[in-house]
Amino acid sequence: MSEAAVPAPPAPVVNAPRRRRHSFVRDVLFGERQAVVGTIVIVFFTLVAVLAPHIAPYSVTQQTCAPYAGLSGKHLLGCDDGGIDMFSELMWGARVSLIVGFAAAVVAMVIGGGVGVVSGFFGGRTDIVLMRITDYFLVIPDIPLMIVFAALFGRHLLNIIIIIAIIYWTSTARLIRAQVKSLRERVFVKRSRALGASNTRLIFKHVLPQVTPLLIANTVLMVAIAMFAETYVAFLGLGDPTQLSWGLLISNAFQGGAMFRHAWWAIVTPGLCVTIVILACTIVGQSMEDAMNPRLKVGHLSVKRFGLRPIPTMRPAPGRWREE
Amino acid sequence: MSDDSAALIEVRDLHVWFDLGRGSELHAVQGIDFQLRPGERMGLVGESGCGKTTTILGMMGLLPPSASIAGSVILEGVDILTRGEESVSPHRWCDMAMIFQGAMNAFNPVKTVGSQIAEPMELHGTHSGRAARARVRELLELVGIAGSRADRYPHEFSGGMRQRAAIAMSLACEPKVLLADEPTTALDVMVQAQILELLVSLTNDLGLAMILVTHDLPVVAQVCRRAAVMYAGEIVEQGPMLELYHDPKHPYTRMLFAATPDLYGEDEVLSIPGAPPRLDRELVGCPFAPRCDRTFDRCAHEHPHVRAVGADRLAACHLNDPVTAGAAS
Amino acid sequence: MAGADYIIKRTFFAIATIFVAVTLNFVLFRAVPGNAVTSLRCQFCTKQFKDALSKQLGLNKSKWAQYGIYLDNLAHGDLGSSYSDHNPVLQDLETPLKNTGLMVTLGTLFSVILGILSGVFASWRRGTLTDRFNLITSLAFYSMPTQWLGMLMVFYVAAWFGLPVAGIQTPDLGVLGPVSFWTLWSNRFEHMLLPALTLGLVLYGEYTLIVRSAMLETLGEDYILTARAKGLKNWRIVWTHALRNAMLPIVTLIALSFGSIVGGAILVEDVFSYPGIGFAVIQAIDRRDYPVLQGAFLLLTVSVIVSNFIADLLYFKLDPRVTT
Repeated sequence: MSEAAVPAPPAPVVNAPRRRRHSFVRDVLFGERQAVVGTIVIVFFTLVAVLAPHIAPYSVTQQTCAPYAGLSGKHLLGCDDGGIDMFSELMWGARVSLIVGFAAAVVAMVIGGGVGVVSGFFGGRTDIVLMRITDYFLVIPDIPLMIVFAALFGRHLLNIIIIIAIIYWTSTARLIRAQVKSLRERVFVKRSRALGASNTRLIFKHVLPQVTPLLIANTVLMVAIAMFAETYVAFLGLGDPTQLSWGLLISNAFQGGAMFRHAWWAIVTPGLCVTIVILACTIVGQSMEDAMNPRLKVGHLSVKRFGLRPIPTMRPAPGRWREE
Repeated sequence: MSDDSAALIEVRDLHVWFDLGRGSELHAVQGIDFQLRPGERMGLVGESGCGKTTTILGMMGLLPPSASIAGSVILEGVDILTRGEESVSPHRWCDMAMIFQGAMNAFNPVKTVGSQIAEPMELHGTHSGRAARARVRELLELVGIAGSRADRYPHEFSGGMRQRAAIAMSLACEPKVLLADEPTTALDVMVQAQILELLVSLTNDLGLAMILVTHDLPVVAQVCRRAAVMYAGEIVEQGPMLELYHDPKHPYTRMLFAATPDLYGEDEVLSIPGAPPRLDRELVGCPFAPRCDRTFDRCAHEHPHVRAVGADRLAACHLNDPVTAGAAS
Repeated sequence: MAGADYIIKRTFFAIATIFVAVTLNFVLFRAVPGNAVTSLRCQFCTKQFKDALSKQLGLNKSKWAQYGIYLDNLAHGDLGSSYSDHNPVLQDLETPLKNTGLMVTLGTLFSVILGILSGVFASWRRGTLTDRFNLITSLAFYSMPTQWLGMLMVFYVAAWFGLPVAGIQTPDLGVLGPVSFWTLWSNRFEHMLLPALTLGLVLYGEYTLIVRSAMLETLGEDYILTARAKGLKNWRIVWTHALRNAMLPIVTLIALSFGSIVGGAILVEDVFSYPGIGFAVIQAIDRRDYPVLQGAFLLLTVSVIVSNFIADLLYFKLDPRVTT
């Protein structure tokens, strides 16, 4: 197109739920390359988690070094306050952290996706009621609610997973609902209905396949949120003390006074692992969302100006330019 | 050719390229020339994508950073394009003002219409404070909007009114030329007529020159006395409106007029088959040849030069070359 | 005026949500296994005493009756009494609430300023290395668990700058005699600085992205091209047109982020032992002081709801187009 002002496709109408990362991370940063890096990171940590029992150099239940021993040839990342090898702990910690992350995200996806689809598809009173509920959940602050649930309902891993899912399903619901609503108007749905297809069939054959990519992208982002939540719960002493997670490691470092012992390896490493995985999930999830929602706006301002060239006088093609 | 010294604006050999990334570029405007005399209304017509909007944006230096420009835009004897942005920007609004396509969005929704009309006045120092506000009201009245509406927001105006407000805004610094880009597209027919009437009366009363860019021929015919027809980034024919209609010297011009439905006419509406060529590659021969109904051998190999085909008329077509005209069957 | 409609709707919603929060509060805390009295740990509690206390607290009545009592108490500003020090909860939480308020305001200020600066900068230099660096940095901070960043601050930053890491003021301040307003508050400010900075860093990423996106979106609008055509210089366009439009989502985000900040504040206060409402929550958990926990939760939730409401009002004021 030679015209300077390219009209942009209308942006989908989605109410941004709180703490939602915004969809231009991709166009900004990165291109597909970063999403690939993100995926590699996630796969790497997943592998570590799965293989932990086999590749961890030391036991995580028995003391194998002096408390807060520093880095050494034998203990690559030092030891924590209980004299347990950090490196092994990080590997085992990956298991729990990732399990909580994935599991809570999946449950949240199921709840949120379900509510979103039902609400968007059926509309009317169902929609209104469900959205009211969602709105209330959205407004109530997450961490206090999480604290209250965890304080009241016990400190088992399963509880934690469920609690996280219950608190965070709402943003998924809103997103999916918006998508389903716009899909409803699509011709093929109407056509199917004209042929007498039932609601269930419509939902499963037509709506779900269209909605699934967005759902998956959102779930990846949800993994990041769930991992955050796990660290918070662990830090506040509300997590499952029998399950070694990165969040618990961070909490132990704090409670065990690692800061005053200058045991940076106990503090920095678990947090770094969490941050890296969360960062990777965010990038991948965002890239996926952006792949479905490109923005084409042309910016009219820039530090750079349009370029000036001298009048072309010499060109290879014959007879191309006017004679004076 | 017309008398050069009387021209208000002369565009010479203007080229615009857009960088498409990965080494390719789009040659959107390919060496166009035209002149505009004071008080004259000229139409710039062609299909979407032929480069007409890019031309006028280029004249005001409003191209994005991915664009490069070459050529001259001579305003009252001075080439304003010599140093790019630096040399063009002082002339914005005071000498050349623009009315954009879809003036619906030309206004910032969170500021009042009046403040936006006053903005260039205060910027260029022509009026300020109370004098500016008075002039804003004056301008609004001039385009047929109640002066009291200056303190309203753009969304409180209808489409037609916003377009008129945009016209008022363009007059804020008393420019010499108005560049109107599809001012009536997206407006309904009744409103279109009003806007066109307004543009005609304003340019007459204020002695303004105007370049009206549009793909809509009846609009041009109504308003402009001269027109330039663009195709694939080039001006293929230009001259007085009536002559273009009665005696087109380029097949594209002829087919364009024929493609316009006549409200009462019984003639078949002939559409032009095919599509314009891609501008990201070098073209050999006449760009219109693939769609032309009178193409012959020479058209495929040799790009036609612009030649005079009458008093104040130019066209770029081999059919006008007496040497080869005989070869066309 | 059309706006009145909108305001009324939002007011109703806010009130309804507060009501839901209140009820949720009641329901959650009555769901505690065992009631408040049985979990009382006091040495001399005979069965008769406990029975009498139960009667006094109305725990032998039906749930509905208890709900009624609860609402009635709330209306009188009675949030119950703390189990640990037997003071009215509201009284106990008053000072902590103020402390948190100050710290959170400072934190928000940090994140907004950092966010605007980096967002404008990033949108300006779109696509260049500085843009990417900016964004990666803010995204990295955003991916860090708040408590971990706080610990890093304590570990690395505090010592470097000689900043305090605990409490709200130096313990021996004012012991030897009255101190000036200035001394007191600069001391307090020092104590607030690191917690607020932690909050600011974790949350500024969101502002960066919002500002950048709003700026890019705005910069692609036709009226920016018009402004440029009118002869305005770039910086002036940014200042008078683009930023003004970008302010809308920023202001909304500030109010909406209140929920995140509240959560973050709890964690940060734990790390820095800052005597705010978050710290009170944590202590209440440790001491099983349910009335305080309940009261704090209610206060926090209501503040978030109110701030969302303010966001709605502000958005309406700033964007004349909003009427629904």
